[in-house]
Amino acid sequence: MNVQVEHHDKVLVARVEGRVDSSNSQDFERQLQGAIGEDVNAVVIDLGQLAYISSAGLRVVLLVAKTLGQRNVSISLCALSDPVQSVFEISGFNRIIQIYDTQADALAAAG
Amino acid sequence: MSGTLHLRVPNRIEELPGVSEAVEALGSEEGWAQDVTYAIVLGLEEVATNVVRHGGGEPGSSEIEIEVSSSDDEVRIEVRDSGRAFDPFHEAPEPDLDAAVQDREIGGLGVHFVKVLMDETSYGREGGRNHVTMVKRRS
Repeated sequence: MNVQVEHHDKVLVARVEGRVDSSNSQDFERQLQGAIGEDVNAVVIDLGQLAYISSAGLRVVLLVAKTLGQRNVSISLCALSDPVQSVFEISGFNRIIQIYDTQADALAAAG
Repeated sequence: MSGTLHLRVPNRIEELPGVSEAVEALGSEEGWAQDVTYAIVLGLEEVATNVVRHGGGEPGSSEIEIEVSSSDDEVRIEVRDSGRAFDPFHEAPEPDLDAAVQDREIGGLGVHFVKVLMDETSYGREGGRNHVTMVKRRS
Protein backbone atom coordinates (compact mmCIF):
# COMPACT_ATOMS: atom_id res chain seq x y z
CA MET A 1 0.00 0.00 0.00
CA ASN A 2 1.22 3.43 -0.89
CA VAL A 3 -0.27 6.93 -0.89
CA GLN A 4 0.95 9.39 -3.57
CA VAL A 5 0.11 13.05 -3.17
CA GLU A 6 -0.40 15.70 -5.87
CA HIS A 7 -1.54 19.31 -5.53
CA HIS A 8 -3.92 20.87 -8.04
CA ASP A 9 -4.08 24.48 -6.80
CA LYS A 10 -5.92 24.23 -3.46
CA VAL A 11 -7.12 20.71 -4.11
CA LEU A 12 -5.05 17.84 -2.79
CA VAL A 13 -5.24 14.53 -4.62
CA ALA A 14 -4.16 11.44 -2.68
CA ARG A 15 -3.74 8.35 -4.87
CA VAL A 16 -3.94 5.11 -2.93
CA GLU A 17 -2.27 2.05 -4.46
CA GLY A 18 -2.32 -1.60 -3.48
CA ARG A 19 -4.21 -3.21 -0.63
CA VAL A 20 -5.49 -1.79 2.64
CA ASP A 21 -6.32 -4.39 5.30
CA SER A 22 -6.16 -4.80 9.07
CA SER A 23 -2.38 -5.37 8.90
CA ASN A 24 -1.53 -2.01 7.33
CA SER A 25 -4.49 0.26 8.12
CA GLN A 26 -2.50 2.15 10.79
CA ASP A 27 0.18 2.91 8.22
CA PHE A 28 -2.58 3.95 5.79
CA GLU A 29 -3.97 6.30 8.44
CA ARG A 30 -0.53 7.84 9.08
CA GLN A 31 0.14 8.34 5.37
CA LEU A 32 -3.29 9.80 4.66
CA GLN A 33 -3.41 12.09 7.72
CA GLY A 34 0.17 13.17 6.91
CA ALA A 35 -0.79 13.98 3.33
CA ILE A 36 -3.66 16.25 4.30
CA GLY A 37 -1.88 19.58 4.67
CA GLU A 38 -3.48 22.50 6.43
CA ASP A 39 -3.71 24.75 3.41
CA VAL A 40 -6.19 22.96 1.17
CA ASN A 41 -9.80 23.63 0.25
CA ALA A 42 -10.63 20.12 -0.86
CA VAL A 43 -9.26 16.59 -0.79
CA VAL A 44 -9.83 14.03 -3.54
CA ILE A 45 -8.89 10.45 -2.71
CA ASP A 46 -8.22 8.57 -5.95
CA LEU A 47 -8.82 4.85 -5.42
CA GLY A 48 -8.20 3.82 -9.05
CA GLN A 49 -5.16 1.72 -8.09
CA LEU A 50 -6.66 0.32 -4.89
CA ALA A 51 -7.03 -3.43 -5.35
CA TYR A 52 -8.61 -4.26 -1.99
CA ILE A 53 -9.95 -2.58 1.13
CA SER A 54 -11.58 -4.08 4.21
CA SER A 55 -13.44 -2.50 7.13
CA ALA A 56 -10.11 -1.53 8.72
CA GLY A 57 -9.38 0.72 5.73
CA LEU A 58 -12.93 2.10 5.58
CA ARG A 59 -12.55 3.09 9.22
CA VAL A 60 -9.56 5.26 8.20
CA VAL A 61 -11.51 6.86 5.34
CA LEU A 62 -14.29 7.71 7.81
CA LEU A 63 -11.80 9.15 10.33
CA VAL A 64 -10.25 11.33 7.62
CA ALA A 65 -13.70 12.46 6.45
CA LYS A 66 -14.56 13.44 10.05
CA THR A 67 -11.27 15.34 10.49
CA LEU A 68 -11.78 17.23 7.21
CA GLY A 69 -15.44 17.91 7.98
CA GLN A 70 -14.45 19.62 11.22
CA ARG A 71 -12.08 21.85 9.19
CA ASN A 72 -14.75 22.54 6.54
CA VAL A 73 -12.59 20.89 3.90
CA SER A 74 -14.56 18.91 1.34
CA ILE A 75 -13.66 15.30 0.62
CA SER A 76 -14.52 13.09 -2.30
CA LEU A 77 -13.47 9.72 -3.68
CA CYS A 78 -12.99 8.71 -7.29
CA ALA A 79 -12.22 5.92 -9.77
CA LEU A 80 -13.34 3.01 -7.58
CA SER A 81 -13.13 -0.46 -9.12
CA ASP A 82 -16.37 -2.47 -9.05
CA PRO A 83 -15.52 -4.59 -5.97
CA VAL A 84 -14.25 -1.55 -4.04
CA GLN A 85 -17.39 0.38 -5.04
CA SER A 86 -19.51 -2.52 -3.68
CA VAL A 87 -17.77 -2.36 -0.32
CA PHE A 88 -18.42 1.40 -0.08
CA GLU A 89 -22.08 0.82 -0.99
CA ILE A 90 -22.55 -1.98 1.56
CA SER A 91 -21.01 0.24 4.24
CA GLY A 92 -23.37 3.09 3.35
CA PHE A 93 -20.35 5.38 2.92
CA ASN A 94 -21.48 6.22 -0.62
CA ARG A 95 -24.36 8.10 1.00
CA ILE A 96 -22.14 10.24 3.23
CA ILE A 97 -19.05 10.76 1.02
CA GLN A 98 -19.27 11.99 -2.57
CA ILE A 99 -17.96 9.44 -5.10
CA TYR A 100 -17.04 10.34 -8.71
CA ASP A 101 -16.31 8.04 -11.66
CA THR A 102 -13.08 9.80 -12.62
CA GLN A 103 -10.47 12.04 -11.04
CA ALA A 104 -11.32 14.71 -13.63
CA ASP A 105 -14.96 14.71 -12.46
CA ALA A 106 -13.87 14.94 -8.83
CA LEU A 107 -11.47 17.82 -9.56
CA ALA A 108 -14.10 19.69 -11.57
CA ALA A 109 -16.53 19.44 -8.64
CA ALA A 110 -13.86 20.34 -6.06
CA GLY A 111 -12.35 23.26 -7.98
CA MET B 1 -12.85 -28.78 -9.71
CA SER B 2 -12.68 -29.08 -5.97
CA GLY B 3 -9.80 -27.74 -3.97
CA THR B 4 -9.22 -27.31 -0.28
CA LEU B 5 -6.97 -25.07 1.73
CA HIS B 6 -6.16 -25.86 5.34
CA LEU B 7 -4.16 -23.38 7.38
CA ARG B 8 -3.22 -22.91 11.01
CA VAL B 9 -1.88 -19.47 11.85
CA PRO B 10 -0.94 -17.79 15.14
CA ASN B 11 -3.51 -15.20 16.35
CA ARG B 12 -1.56 -12.23 15.01
CA ILE B 13 -2.76 -9.55 12.57
CA GLU B 14 0.53 -9.80 10.64
CA GLU B 15 -0.36 -13.39 9.68
CA LEU B 16 -3.52 -12.37 7.84
CA PRO B 17 -2.04 -11.03 4.55
CA GLY B 18 -0.46 -14.47 4.04
CA VAL B 19 -3.90 -16.05 4.54
CA SER B 20 -5.39 -13.69 1.93
CA GLU B 21 -2.64 -14.60 -0.55
CA ALA B 22 -3.23 -18.32 -0.05
CA VAL B 23 -6.99 -17.90 -0.51
CA GLU B 24 -6.48 -15.85 -3.67
CA ALA B 25 -4.17 -18.55 -5.05
CA LEU B 26 -6.89 -21.16 -4.41
CA GLY B 27 -9.47 -18.91 -6.08
CA SER B 28 -7.24 -18.51 -9.09
CA GLU B 29 -6.76 -22.31 -9.41
CA GLU B 30 -10.49 -22.88 -8.99
CA GLY B 31 -11.55 -20.10 -11.35
CA TRP B 32 -13.61 -18.03 -8.88
CA ALA B 33 -15.14 -14.84 -10.26
CA GLN B 34 -13.49 -11.60 -9.09
CA ASP B 35 -16.39 -10.62 -6.83
CA VAL B 36 -16.49 -14.10 -5.28
CA THR B 37 -12.77 -13.95 -4.49
CA TYR B 38 -13.11 -10.46 -3.01
CA ALA B 39 -16.04 -11.53 -0.81
CA ILE B 40 -14.20 -14.59 0.50
CA VAL B 41 -10.91 -12.80 1.19
CA LEU B 42 -12.81 -9.98 2.89
CA GLY B 43 -15.07 -12.27 4.94
CA LEU B 44 -12.12 -14.27 6.16
CA GLU B 45 -10.07 -11.17 7.02
CA GLU B 46 -12.97 -9.66 8.97
CA VAL B 47 -13.67 -12.82 10.97
CA ALA B 48 -9.98 -13.53 11.66
CA THR B 49 -9.31 -9.89 12.63
CA ASN B 50 -12.19 -10.10 15.12
CA VAL B 51 -10.69 -13.27 16.59
CA VAL B 52 -7.30 -11.59 17.05
CA ARG B 53 -8.68 -8.32 18.42
CA HIS B 54 -11.52 -9.62 20.59
CA GLY B 55 -10.69 -13.26 21.29
CA GLY B 56 -8.60 -12.40 24.34
CA GLY B 57 -5.12 -13.79 24.91
CA GLU B 58 -1.83 -12.31 23.81
CA PRO B 59 -1.09 -12.15 20.08
CA GLY B 60 0.69 -15.35 19.07
CA SER B 61 -0.56 -17.27 22.12
CA SER B 62 -3.08 -19.42 20.24
CA GLU B 63 -3.93 -20.61 16.76
CA ILE B 64 -6.65 -19.86 14.26
CA GLU B 65 -7.59 -22.82 12.11
CA ILE B 66 -8.90 -21.99 8.66
CA GLU B 67 -10.39 -24.32 6.09
CA VAL B 68 -11.60 -23.21 2.68
CA SER B 69 -13.22 -25.79 0.40
CA SER B 70 -14.22 -24.96 -3.13
CA SER B 71 -16.67 -26.94 -5.24
CA ASP B 72 -18.34 -26.12 -8.54
CA ASP B 73 -21.30 -24.51 -6.78
CA GLU B 74 -19.99 -22.90 -3.63
CA VAL B 75 -17.06 -22.08 -1.39
CA ARG B 76 -17.25 -23.06 2.26
CA ILE B 77 -15.06 -21.22 4.77
CA GLU B 78 -14.61 -22.48 8.32
CA VAL B 79 -12.76 -20.63 11.06
CA ARG B 80 -12.05 -22.16 14.45
CA ASP B 81 -10.32 -20.55 17.39
CA SER B 82 -9.93 -21.14 21.11
CA GLY B 83 -10.61 -17.54 22.17
CA ARG B 84 -13.44 -16.53 24.46
CA ALA B 85 -16.94 -17.50 23.30
CA PHE B 86 -18.16 -14.84 20.89
CA ASP B 87 -20.91 -15.08 18.27
CA PRO B 88 -20.05 -12.30 15.82
CA PHE B 89 -23.37 -12.60 13.99
CA HIS B 90 -25.47 -11.86 17.04
CA GLU B 91 -23.21 -10.08 19.52
CA ALA B 92 -21.41 -7.56 17.28
CA PRO B 93 -23.02 -4.09 17.15
CA GLU B 94 -25.04 -3.19 14.05
CA PRO B 95 -23.63 -0.15 12.24
CA ASP B 96 -26.02 2.76 11.63
CA LEU B 97 -25.78 3.02 7.84
CA ASP B 98 -27.86 6.18 7.68
CA ALA B 99 -25.88 8.33 10.12
CA ALA B 100 -24.16 11.50 8.85
CA VAL B 101 -20.34 11.62 8.65
CA GLN B 102 -19.83 13.30 12.03
CA ASP B 103 -22.28 10.95 13.78
CA ARG B 104 -21.21 7.75 12.12
CA GLU B 105 -19.62 5.36 14.62
CA ILE B 106 -16.26 3.85 13.78
CA GLY B 107 -16.50 0.09 13.64
CA GLY B 108 -19.11 -2.65 13.45
CA LEU B 109 -18.65 -2.82 9.69
CA GLY B 110 -16.67 -6.03 9.38
CA VAL B 111 -19.45 -8.34 10.52
CA HIS B 112 -21.94 -6.35 8.45
CA PHE B 113 -19.83 -7.07 5.33
CA VAL B 114 -19.80 -10.77 6.14
CA LYS B 115 -23.58 -10.88 6.61
CA VAL B 116 -24.23 -9.05 3.34
CA LEU B 117 -21.61 -10.75 1.15
CA MET B 118 -22.03 -14.34 2.30
CA ASP B 119 -24.99 -16.55 1.38
CA GLU B 120 -24.93 -18.46 4.67
CA THR B 121 -23.30 -17.80 8.02
CA SER B 122 -23.39 -19.74 11.24
CA TYR B 123 -21.70 -19.83 14.61
CA GLY B 124 -21.21 -22.60 17.13
CA ARG B 125 -19.18 -23.25 20.24
CA GLU B 126 -17.67 -26.73 20.11
CA GLY B 127 -15.20 -28.29 22.52
CA GLY B 128 -14.16 -24.93 23.93
CA ARG B 129 -13.64 -23.44 20.48
CA ASN B 130 -15.54 -20.90 18.39
CA HIS B 131 -16.55 -22.23 15.00
CA VAL B 132 -17.66 -19.77 12.33
CA THR B 133 -18.90 -21.11 9.00
CA MET B 134 -19.46 -18.96 5.91
CA VAL B 135 -20.75 -20.15 2.56
CA LYS B 136 -20.43 -18.17 -0.68
CA ARG B 137 -22.25 -19.46 -3.75
CA ARG B 138 -20.30 -19.08 -6.96
CA SER B 139 -23.20 -17.81 -9.06
